[in-house]
Amino acid sequence: MFDVIVRGGTVVDGTGAPGFAGDVAVKDGRIAAVGQISGEARTVVDARGRVVAPGFIDPHTHFDVQLLWDGAARPALEHGVTCVVPGNCSLSLAPLKADDRKAVVGMFQQIEEMPPEAFTTAFEWTWEDFAGYRAAIEKGLSINVAPLVGHSVIRLWVMGPASQERAAFPDEIAAMQALLRECLKAGAVGLSTSFVDLDAHGKPVPSRYAQFDELDALCAVLGEFGRMLQVVPEFYATDITIARIDQLAELSIRHGIPTTFSPLFDTLAVPDNAERAIARVEEQFARGARVWPQMQTRPIDISFSLLRPSLFFARLPRWVRILRQPLEQRVAALTDPDTRAKMLADLGPDGGEAMFGRLVARGGDACPPEYVGKTLSEIARLRGQPAGLALIKLSLENGLDVAFLSASQGHQSTDRIGPMLAHPLVHIGASDGGAHLASFSTYGDTGYLFSEFVRKAGAMSLEKAVAKITSETADIWGLKDRGRLAPGQCADIVVFDADAIDRGDELPAFDMPGDGMRYVRAARGVDTVLVNGEVAYAQGAYTASRSGVVCV
Amino acid sequence: MDEAVIVGADIVAGHDGTAELVVRLLHPDGSEHPVLLDEDTGLKLMEACGAASLEDLYGQSWRRIVPES
Ligand SMILES: [Zn+2]
Repeated sequence: MFDVIVRGGTVVDGTGAPGFAGDVAVKDGRIAAVGQISGEARTVVDARGRVVAPGFIDPHTHFDVQLLWDGAARPALEHGVTCVVPGNCSLSLAPLKADDRKAVVGMFQQIEEMPPEAFTTAFEWTWEDFAGYRAAIEKGLSINVAPLVGHSVIRLWVMGPASQERAAFPDEIAAMQALLRECLKAGAVGLSTSFVDLDAHGKPVPSRYAQFDELDALCAVLGEFGRMLQVVPEFYATDITIARIDQLAELSIRHGIPTTFSPLFDTLAVPDNAERAIARVEEQFARGARVWPQMQTRPIDISFSLLRPSLFFARLPRWVRILRQPLEQRVAALTDPDTRAKMLADLGPDGGEAMFGRLVARGGDACPPEYVGKTLSEIARLRGQPAGLALIKLSLENGLDVAFLSASQGHQSTDRIGPMLAHPLVHIGASDGGAHLASFSTYGDTGYLFSEFVRKAGAMSLEKAVAKITSETADIWGLKDRGRLAPGQCADIVVFDADAIDRGDELPAFDMPGDGMRYVRAARGVDTVLVNGEVAYAQGAYTASRSGVVCV
Repeated sequence: MDEAVIVGADIVAGHDGTAELVVRLLHPDGSEHPVLLDEDTGLKLMEACGAASLEDLYGQSWRRIVPES
């Protein structure tokens, strides 16, 4: 008697091998058999007409805080993600002394944009060390978690305020090494560091004050465990990125560790950026280094409101001049008919239709609900105004607090990005799940991989796409018994419709502590998700299962 | 020319969903490199140069990027 049989689907086993008709049987949280299975099971999942694949792994997330009250990391799980890696970009919630919480909360808020209530009312701080944090999240997990420990918090623990002032002394480096070792023993899957992030006061995060010998010493400890180093490199500065790749390669070879830099973007403004970085990665792999560039699937959208000046208008001199004035003068100028007429004239004879028509009113702010999700073109029609005027008036009527989204303004060329994602040395990830909550949705990138790059562009086969976000990710990170549908593997399974899986529309949701807002995308085309052999999501609903673990 | 000057400027989508500014710097040795400025720094640069458009940045010294201390 099996616990579960997923019957009658097309098994895409995560290795990249062609899919085949078959069943997958589960016993005691592990896969017991794959093929034509005649036995019985307590639960049968009907997968006819569906793909049965290993659960997806998301290697760059910031779910550290959310996991304390939401063990499913919603909506990651419903998109078929069965394992997330939090603790990226030098920040984790442990090890962290009680006195330092406030400072680290500020750093987290920079990245995650979570409301303050998320840190004050949504959970109880019961830990200081990494084992304590692990115990705190383990109570309610329905998704698997492979946590990184952040260099900034390790540095803060050892050096206190000096962590944001100076390089470390040898005894401090030794203390950081001991602390990292303790975290790795307690279940951390590696160390994250950042060369770009800022704290709540605009000051570089602690990891940015480290000299190379400090990073080298910490990587020596990673080497004892064969664990990952993740870094955030400088964006769009190709020469610096290449220097970082070389630095990571040295650390990888010297200490026998995998390294990953995340994110790597394509941009038409620096068209050879990703190409040159990948070429350097190829050279370094040929030398025996492991330096995995992480590339996200989704394009980058720009959003802005008239509440704050934005470079979005940088090509419209008059708009720039008006919008950078203090609020009161700005509102006065936007209200003045003569000024407005001149601003509209700048947009051309169509009143801004070509320039602004495709902008979308995002919602989650003061935007009237009837306009949320509509294009400015549609809003302009409804209001009987040209697009440019509708933008200004709608903003004025709502205290300027109306956010507009300009979709696909960066990392958007499917023709260029498809082949890069398919490249054997490019690691698909960098979703930033659980971060930038109030700015855009970081969920559903896996759905977008299938809808955009498999179905629409044909940049890779379904099997290849599945392998990229399952077995390849598990192998890169050294996650044991994950990422494949084979006997003995952990039973993380997703059943999805290959013709329908997609990332869903971006919508505001008010499900953060204190009714805080975030943008989410609901899954499309995902039927059932099993985590360690238990059904965690089915028919559009989360179950009560709590079968997620901290996996290493 | 004895210091780097801005010879190009373009808006790019920042990883955090803001519009950021990439300026291309031409160095005295003839090499050219992009530098990414976040939205705040980009807006400050435009203001420091009295620039109302991206083209107004061309020919400006790289020093304008660094806030006066
Ligand atoms: Zn991140």
